[in-house]
Amino acid sequence: MKLKEIVKKLNLSELTKIEDKDINGVFISDMLSDVMGSAKPADLWLTVQTHKNIVSAANLVDIGAVVVTHNKKVPKDTIELANRFNVIILSSDLSTFDIVSKLIEIGLKPK
Amino acid sequence: MQEERCAHLWEMADVTYGFIIMQKCSHCRKISNYFTEELKPPMEKYREKEHFWNYMDSTQSIRFNLRCSRCNTVVNFEELLGLMMCTGCDEKCDVNIQMKELAKERTWIYVAFGYLPVEEKKQLTKEKIAILEEYFNQRRKSSKSKIKIVTHELVRDPTNCYGEVIMDSDMLALTTDK
Repeated sequence: MKLKEIVKKLNLSELTKIEDKDINGVFISDMLSDVMGSAKPADLWLTVQTHKNIVSAANLVDIGAVVVTHNKKVPKDTIELANRFNVIILSSDLSTFDIVSKLIEIGLKPK
Repeated sequence: MQEERCAHLWEMADVTYGFIIMQKCSHCRKISNYFTEELKPPMEKYREKEHFWNYMDSTQSIRFNLRCSRCNTVVNFEELLGLMMCTGCDEKCDVNIQMKELAKERTWIYVAFGYLPVEEKKQLTKEKIAILEEYFNQRRKSSKSKIKIVTHELVRDPTNCYGEVIMDSDMLALTTDK
């Protein structure tokens, strides 16, 4: 599924530059060690973490985009770093649970 | 007959979750760290040769091996403490200099660092760093960018480095400005 389609259908806020790309799955975790160990390339990473080092983890494993949920405020320095390294950060005021439900509704289902 | 070399296709294996323990010697003030799988990190003081170690901090982390899915070769990374993304904080640092060059090719630099004290703990070899780099690039199936992994020895001033470490620590704390 294309990222821009997900952004539009879920009404996600674009915090960084965004390019359209294929999203293949969803990864949910607030632990960077988890992301490093288990996230797959082109995953949509749902997290409540907003620290700059989410950019480091997302970039390393080639995450499709990061979605910060629960209306958490993402600091300016995280957004600046993400733009430098072409990591896409989106946000939503919905909970992670609600985002997952909506993703399944629009067709991004577990394999 | 020439032996056929495997074009390794790496996958993460034997992933173990645990903690990295940071400790300080009350005798010589050296800082040391290590990985433990214990569910409750040990916090008692203890003596090891001439060191008297006192617990400072702990952070959740993982340890893993890489296994080739073609030939089953396993490479362990017990010397790897973590990876840090270079953010270009020091103009004179060799890591930053490399990063500026490679940024044109959309290649991002990560520093692999081992356990402390560096002079007392076995550190990652160049060969293992190359395998780690190969693995993370193989994992980037959709990307137009690449990863380069370098040794921590290239970091000019580790105590003043503002690279972003991939570690489950301090993520809920305020960060200081450069």
